[in-house]
Amino acid sequence: MTLAPQTPRRTGSSSGPARTGPARRARRGEGTAGWLFTLPVIVILGLFLLVPVLMALWVSFSDWTGRGSPLAPGVGFVGLDNYAEITSGGGLPERDFGLAMRNNAWYVLLVVPLQTGLSLFLAVLVNRAVLRGRGFFRTAFYFPSVTSSVAITVLWMFLFSSSGAVNQVLSWVGLSGPNWFNDPRGIVHVALSSIGVDSGPAALTGSDALGVTWWDWLSGPSVAMSAFILMAVFTTSGTFMLLFIAALQNIGPEIDEAGLMDGASAWQRFWRLTLPQLRPTLFTVLTLGLIGCWQVFDQIYTGTQGAPGKTTLTPAYLSYEAAFRDQRWGQGAAISFILFAVIVAFTLFQRWALRERDGERRFRKTANGGAP
Amino acid sequence: MKPTARAALAAGGTALAAALALTGCGQGFDDTTDEDASGELSSSDDPLTILYGASGEAETQALEAALAAWSEESGVEATAVAATNMDQELSQGFASGSPADLFYLAPEALAGYAANGSLRPYGDELSNKDDFYPSLVQNFTVDDEFYCAPKDFSTLALVINTEMWAEAGLTDADLPTTWEQLDAAAEALTTDDRAGLTFGAEYQRVGAFMAQAGGRLVSEDGATAVADSPENLEGLSYVKSHLEDGTFAYAADLGAGWGGEAFGKGLAAMTVEGNWVTGALSADFPDVQYQVVPLPAGPAGPGTLQFTNCWGMAADSPNQQAALDLVEYLTSTEQQLAFSAAFGPMPSIESAADQWRTDNPDLAAFLDGSDHATGVPVNEGVSEVVADMNSQLESLAGTEPEEILATVQSNLEAVVGG
Amino acid sequence: MTAIAKPAGPQRRRTRPLAQACLYAVLGALALVYIFPFLVQVATSFKPDAEAAANTVALIPQTFTFAAYDRLFAHSDFPLWFANSAVVTVAATLGRVFFASLAGYALARLRFRGRSLVFALIVAVMAVPSVVLLIPKFLVLNQLGLYDSYAGMIVPLLVDAAGVFIMKNFFESIPVSIEEQARIDGAGPFRTYWSVVLPMARPALVTIVILSFQGSWNELSHFIVATQSPELTTLTKGVASLSSGQLSQGTQYPVKLAAAAIMTIPVAILFFVFQKHIVNKSEGAVKG
Repeated sequence: MTLAPQTPRRTGSSSGPARTGPARRARRGEGTAGWLFTLPVIVILGLFLLVPVLMALWVSFSDWTGRGSPLAPGVGFVGLDNYAEITSGGGLPERDFGLAMRNNAWYVLLVVPLQTGLSLFLAVLVNRAVLRGRGFFRTAFYFPSVTSSVAITVLWMFLFSSSGAVNQVLSWVGLSGPNWFNDPRGIVHVALSSIGVDSGPAALTGSDALGVTWWDWLSGPSVAMSAFILMAVFTTSGTFMLLFIAALQNIGPEIDEAGLMDGASAWQRFWRLTLPQLRPTLFTVLTLGLIGCWQVFDQIYTGTQGAPGKTTLTPAYLSYEAAFRDQRWGQGAAISFILFAVIVAFTLFQRWALRERDGERRFRKTANGGAP
Repeated sequence: MKPTARAALAAGGTALAAALALTGCGQGFDDTTDEDASGELSSSDDPLTILYGASGEAETQALEAALAAWSEESGVEATAVAATNMDQELSQGFASGSPADLFYLAPEALAGYAANGSLRPYGDELSNKDDFYPSLVQNFTVDDEFYCAPKDFSTLALVINTEMWAEAGLTDADLPTTWEQLDAAAEALTTDDRAGLTFGAEYQRVGAFMAQAGGRLVSEDGATAVADSPENLEGLSYVKSHLEDGTFAYAADLGAGWGGEAFGKGLAAMTVEGNWVTGALSADFPDVQYQVVPLPAGPAGPGTLQFTNCWGMAADSPNQQAALDLVEYLTSTEQQLAFSAAFGPMPSIESAADQWRTDNPDLAAFLDGSDHATGVPVNEGVSEVVADMNSQLESLAGTEPEEILATVQSNLEAVVGG
Repeated sequence: MTAIAKPAGPQRRRTRPLAQACLYAVLGALALVYIFPFLVQVATSFKPDAEAAANTVALIPQTFTFAAYDRLFAHSDFPLWFANSAVVTVAATLGRVFFASLAGYALARLRFRGRSLVFALIVAVMAVPSVVLLIPKFLVLNQLGLYDSYAGMIVPLLVDAAGVFIMKNFFESIPVSIEEQARIDGAGPFRTYWSVVLPMARPALVTIVILSFQGSWNELSHFIVATQSPELTTLTKGVASLSSGQLSQGTQYPVKLAAAAIMTIPVAILFFVFQKHIVNKSEGAVKG
């Protein structure tokens, strides 16, 4: 669960206390009160966020096998062994990790653009509806977002079962749907085999990364994972739609109307006038999407446990499974830290991309002769 | 942002100090991990907790009745706790130092828990230890130590829908005893909307055909990986060819969770399952008429797989003496026959065999299979190899069996040795 | 919190009937796609097992039965799961409202040494993705002796950094003058917070209530690693085990879908009660 808090605009009268300088004559007890008021938060966040992270960091460097305390004297330091085992060990742990990374990478690659595009599309449509209809549609699109991932996964397993509602609807238009959650074939491979390509070139099948051949990296998400991808788009688009609607309403119609006078078409107006103004929201949505998509766990735990053919295995679920099922606690912890690093890297990359754009814009403005 | 970064660093330092301080005051962990695992059994007045994974209401009731009877006799309280996720709950119990005293334990999970010292081996202290089938004892022996008492067992057999059998014009003379006869029967039974034979896409079913071809995953002494043998290839290729011609089908491909469900729903006319299928059929599909016969012999003769669980005992249990007593009670001839009558498991002791056969003449095929049954390998780490193999077996129809076996072989070599 | 939507323009736009009709056709079709799964879910929960598997689209059961609900409420631990979820959610929500507003107020208004450090810590913590805490949380709960207890389920949920962040921002956006008056009248910091500031903070508190209720009610992974006893199973954990077939073999869709439908009701009610609030403000909960 992540949050998109939008800082409310500070009203002029509410200068922060830092600036209300005169009262330096320390209102009595304020220091103590400040600490007392924040103490519960500090203690709980410290105990259940910081300490756990540090403890798990130790476990990821240790040979603890899950019996007794990891801080007991008998537990040894093994350096980077756990990390090495999952990134270059050559065995099953490495291959599982590779598969999990592949599955999740495809998931991110498809979910993020789809949910962003769809939520923007919904927002634009809803924003155009007259006021009364707007409430209804907003509710309809947002509702899936409030349900728990467990409940929605249960529903999805039913809808996408071999004779489920989705396949029945497909059969009305003459299509025979796949056995979704039991189909391990990657969709890129399926597409290729429909044009007669059943196995990859030796260049791709001969070499591998993380124990998975390049040909398999390029398999695309499996049909089963595709069902999860649709589910993610279904459940998140409503939330992001709300963010976009709010942003659209802040823009207001004036700019659009100005464009109208210039004789621009609706498409041009959207592309050239509206979209640039939505950019901050767009970046918020992309960032939240990226962070959320790397953390797929509930759906897999509830639904497929990684099956079929390990094509719905994700790093988050693999980390759980390695520790709690297979007693490889060190490797499990190591996987979660690698995942952490991946998420941080993506977030930083996104920030960097954002900064770059700002520079670009400033540059363009200057080049156009506008005063910086 | 600079000062805040420094502040965050300082805060991290504080938390680190807190973490270190925690090592001194932990109460959750029991720091007695290094005691000798095979010393004296612990003894106390503590009540016992038994963690089990129930196949259904009948098993829960039978187990609770047995525990109540034993508590009456021994004066020690015993509570059964149903697991919703056995592996996870066991792991968490061991790590927290307060595991269940006794629990269902699968042979493939044994080696891992034995290695980290979570289990208390007690097999040799059982008064009835010579009564267990030797092959089952073998399943629960690690490094020559007999860890835990086999709870019950089953082998795989062929379950046939008698109505469909007759409809297809087949008689008792057609009951398959060889692969060729199985081919013929499956073909006769296959129609547009049902498969001839179904089973789960896993080594735990497909492996029976590998065994009939004379193959196994790990050599009998448990020291060598032998997955990429020509025998295994023959078994897998046999299954693959029939998955392709449509006379065999995986349960999942028929839209069912397991073979028994596909069979009960009439999606297939035969299935390869263990004796638990009988309970499930009478509960969920009481109208289905069926017959159980031994699996057909392959090129290397008859072969099947054997499944069992044992009563694992926790090293951290404070009342192992009582737990041992309870295990002896639960594995006694009388009690095992009572369990068998209640929810269908086959007794793990030889002294109950004759009575069981008399009580269940229709199910004799499950017991007969034990003469030529292969167990699931028990080496540490094998369960993950098998899980990986299962994930590949799902797409057997579109894969070369050689590739699957080669992967399994190299994975096995990593945990067993070449 | 109070970002006021500008009077929206669509009505003023020159309407072209054909375009409007298209717009509503597309919106209607999409809304159907979004709502239909839930209708199927409710309908299926009233079907017998066989019909549910055979006829998955029909919205009106041929044989109408309460069997699934009867099974859940009379023959399973479902009521217990529900009660556990309710207890944990209510406790966590109360805790978050109180602690987040308390800390948010202190960070916005009170001056004390180390304030910026505390705030930096909270911001840093917000960046930790919850899923990497799976193993770590279990280790710490264990070490603290809170594993497999209500305390272990509730305490870690009592505080969330984002809530503090929202409250701090809110308090900074309202004028200080009223508080100053209370101070001059001699009220201590807690009195000021409790009787003057808190009543003014309702809009922000509602936000915290929504986020924390939804978050705790829908939480799964924390309960997986924090408990093992069946008596402590929550709805999410229970229904997840139901779904993955750990309790029974076979499909049994009506029971699973009924369970999933019931667990959606409380958040749905919350959603409809506070709907205006949720959709009218620009910030919202975002599912991970």
